[in-house]
Amino acid sequence: MSDKLKEIINKQAEQNDSVVDQLDDVVQLVGFVIGDEEYAVPILSIQEIIKPFPWTRVPQVPKYVLGVFNLRGSVIPLIDLRTKFGLPPKKQSEDTRFIVMRNGSDVAGFVIDRLTMAIRIKKENVGPPPDTVNGDDTIIDGVGKQADKIITILKVNKLLERDF
Amino acid sequence: MDEFQEILQDFLVESFELVEKLDEDLVELESRPDDLELLNGIFRVAHTVKGASSFLNFDTLTHLTHHMEDVLNKARHGELSITPDVMDVILESIDLMKALLEKIRDTSSDDGIDVAACVARLDKISNGDLSGLADAVKEEANQDSEETVQKEEAEEEPDYDNMDPDEIEAEIERLLAQRQAEDKAKREAKIAAGEEVPMMPPEASEEEPKKEDKQEKKEKKKEEAPKAPTPAPVSHNKKASQKASAEDPKAAAPAKRAPATVEQTIRVDVKRLDHLMNLIGELVLAKNRLIKINDDVEERYEGEEFLEELNQVVSIVSLVTTDLQIAVMKTRMLPIGKVFNKFPRMIRDLSRELNKKIELVISGEDTELDKSIVEEIGDPLVHIIRNSCDHGIETPEERLAKGKPEEGTITLKAYNEGNQIVIQIDDDGKGLDPEMLKQKSLEKGIITEKEAEQMSDKEAYTLIFKPGFSTAAAVTSVSGRGVGMDVVKTNIEKLNGIIDIDSEIDKGTSIKLKIPLTLAIIQALLVGVQEEHYAIPLASVLETVRISKDEIYTVEGRSVMRLRDDVLSLVHIGDIFEVERILDASEHAYVVVLGLGTSKLGLIVDILVGQEEIVIKSLGDYLKGIEGIAGATIRGDGGVTLIVDVVALMDMARETKATQISSSDESAVREKTKASDYTVMIVDDSKTDRTIMRKALEPMGVTLVEASDGQEALNLLKSGDYNVDAMLIDIEMPRMDGYTLASEIKKYNRYKNLPLIAVTSRTSKSDRMRGVESGMVEYITKPYSADYLASVVQRNVNFKPEFL
Repeated sequence: MSDKLKEIINKQAEQNDSVVDQLDDVVQLVGFVIGDEEYAVPILSIQEIIKPFPWTRVPQVPKYVLGVFNLRGSVIPLIDLRTKFGLPPKKQSEDTRFIVMRNGSDVAGFVIDRLTMAIRIKKENVGPPPDTVNGDDTIIDGVGKQADKIITILKVNKLLERDF
Repeated sequence: MDEFQEILQDFLVESFELVEKLDEDLVELESRPDDLELLNGIFRVAHTVKGASSFLNFDTLTHLTHHMEDVLNKARHGELSITPDVMDVILESIDLMKALLEKIRDTSSDDGIDVAACVARLDKISNGDLSGLADAVKEEANQDSEETVQKEEAEEEPDYDNMDPDEIEAEIERLLAQRQAEDKAKREAKIAAGEEVPMMPPEASEEEPKKEDKQEKKEKKKEEAPKAPTPAPVSHNKKASQKASAEDPKAAAPAKRAPATVEQTIRVDVKRLDHLMNLIGELVLAKNRLIKINDDVEERYEGEEFLEELNQVVSIVSLVTTDLQIAVMKTRMLPIGKVFNKFPRMIRDLSRELNKKIELVISGEDTELDKSIVEEIGDPLVHIIRNSCDHGIETPEERLAKGKPEEGTITLKAYNEGNQIVIQIDDDGKGLDPEMLKQKSLEKGIITEKEAEQMSDKEAYTLIFKPGFSTAAAVTSVSGRGVGMDVVKTNIEKLNGIIDIDSEIDKGTSIKLKIPLTLAIIQALLVGVQEEHYAIPLASVLETVRISKDEIYTVEGRSVMRLRDDVLSLVHIGDIFEVERILDASEHAYVVVLGLGTSKLGLIVDILVGQEEIVIKSLGDYLKGIEGIAGATIRGDGGVTLIVDVVALMDMARETKATQISSSDESAVREKTKASDYTVMIVDDSKTDRTIMRKALEPMGVTLVEASDGQEALNLLKSGDYNVDAMLIDIEMPRMDGYTLASEIKKYNRYKNLPLIAVTSRTSKSDRMRGVESGMVEYITKPYSADYLASVVQRNVNFKPEFL
């Protein structure tokens, strides 16, 4: 009896370990679409995802900075990722969302065309960014390989960095 | 160790407060050396600091204050007279004391600052040996410093070799505890650095009871304190009890001379006040929103009974919010005297250093300002006053030669003016010479010759604030590096303040700093341009004027208008903030006259929305530093409105001429891919004439738009439905004739380059002249051939030959 109990306990412990292992090995991302490409950012860097609402234009900034909006009392910049990635502007649709990302005290909202889903991806399936965009300046953190597609993982700190 | 830290904090706050007061008292003492009350006060400070520091084990500080106390005690009993030389030494020792306190604040220890030289001098004074005081000073300093450092080091390091294991363990324990205390102190010092010492009661006597309280409190705490870090060894406890017993008589001493008044104040952490202020900010926003909703409801349910009640509630809420806001603002207010206090000492030092005689007259030190502003204002004032001493006030000989009194006067005063506080610094020195300023700036390449020519005297005065500018021929230790006044400008502008300089050669200079009372919540004028709104700080708005478009004149490509007797340069807010202008439909515009120092600027806006109380929010790191935008605020409807930075706006206005032209260029250059991309408008009241023109141009394949009079043509143009490339205009038309139409069109920046072609039967020279004056580029007289008309149009629209 006690042997069996031990066995069970051991098994549970093993399982627990493997769960922890899994958690360690997996990155959780939120995927979204801009233009034809699918991108993703770590789920923990996302403060919230909201439906679009009016913003105020700010002068003397690059085109991709749409302006600022009011998020429950804080004034937050709004950045259009389409324009930032050099795609032609598109009218906002039903699917358009603002993703509010946070890195430390830096917060900004990003306009994306469409959300896809929360993605769990094994760390071993995340490759480095292609050599052509390597280096410290790149906005790409890595490339996540999935069964049928690849996803570009973006660096949130770079997205939130002022580059003008 | 918590209690020790608490005591240390109390000690530091109190000591800094005392020392600040001390500075002021000492300078006063010099002018009234016999004032026993004053001397007693100063003595007490030295004594208090000595007492507290000895029991906190700050040996160096104790050592220093002890000798200060000796000297002051003698002076107090009339055994010593306070001469400037003696005063120099006392002041020096106070400086050292400050340095020590700062060191303690930062590192929790008073090691590493050498006081021996100063102590030796103090001893000399108290021994009555005043001869050669000043000369001996320097030599001693060098020798002594080395000695004491060594001595101190020797004391510091206990003899580990000869300790038995228990003692060593105790020592380790002690060092560990000390290390922890240091770390902690560092952390707390960081916190402490962010806040300033709270307000100081004006009377020294009132301060006594507090001091006494604290002393007692400290004593109590001290008794427990050393026990806290047990398992500390026996030796430690012994030391502590010694300290406690040593403290007794000292604590008793101040109790004797405590008057009976009780100070009704609480020390509050500034962070709590800041938090409170933030909450009030949110409340103000909510109030604005409530008012807006109330207005909407009023409109919809006019005449309903419940409206009355709602109105009452809304007005009570808004009233209470305003009161609350003022109340919290007041708790953050500090008298500006806090900043002014350090200047008598500074002037004294400077005048000795520069060999000038300068008197400082301070008034209005009770004027209150927000704490954050008080903190920011110190540096600029230091620079201005140093500047006045160094460049403003002349040497006594010069002054006598000019027939002025030998002693120069610098007046420092503060007073309220509306929502602003004005700090005025006057000197009766040599004044600013605008020509010399211009010359210097030219030499240093700060301005160009053309700028120098156009500069008014007032503008020339402001040159002293340019970075890299210095009027001093030589760099002295006081000034001449051309950095200081630049700092003044940056700091004051950071506070949304205004600097105003007035000067007269050989009469003196007067600098006025106008600073808003508080930074967080301001009154603003909300203006609209196209569909955007902007908030302009009301403090910078002088007046608003409604004008019609033809009151705007163009001089050298700049818009100006006549405002009573002045010419006011104008700039459109849309040009500054790159607002996309679809077209201006209204005949009238509003001009917001902005004032900043002496410069004025008219800002053209489409509509005035109204006055509102706004809470300034930062745009955050990502968007900070945008020229012309000071921040943002959240409006009653939840939208974000940007706040205009008037200072930057004034600068930007000088360059906006260029953007106007470029923007009109942009609209003109549009790729034409086929003949029908060209649009020509025909304006004629005669149907026949219009048909003739249509027939002449149709073969080209261009798009034709017709209007039967000037008014209709103008409306068509304004509607923006057509992108017109050229206009054929008849002169004689009902409602609006061709000349008027042409000059109306030319008022719009967008149509500055639109070719206007007059088609008329008027042939006289004066008619042609009028046509040119009103902006026509071609003059075709009826009758004309169809080919001629077509060729003129082609030429003017740059018709591409491949479309023919």
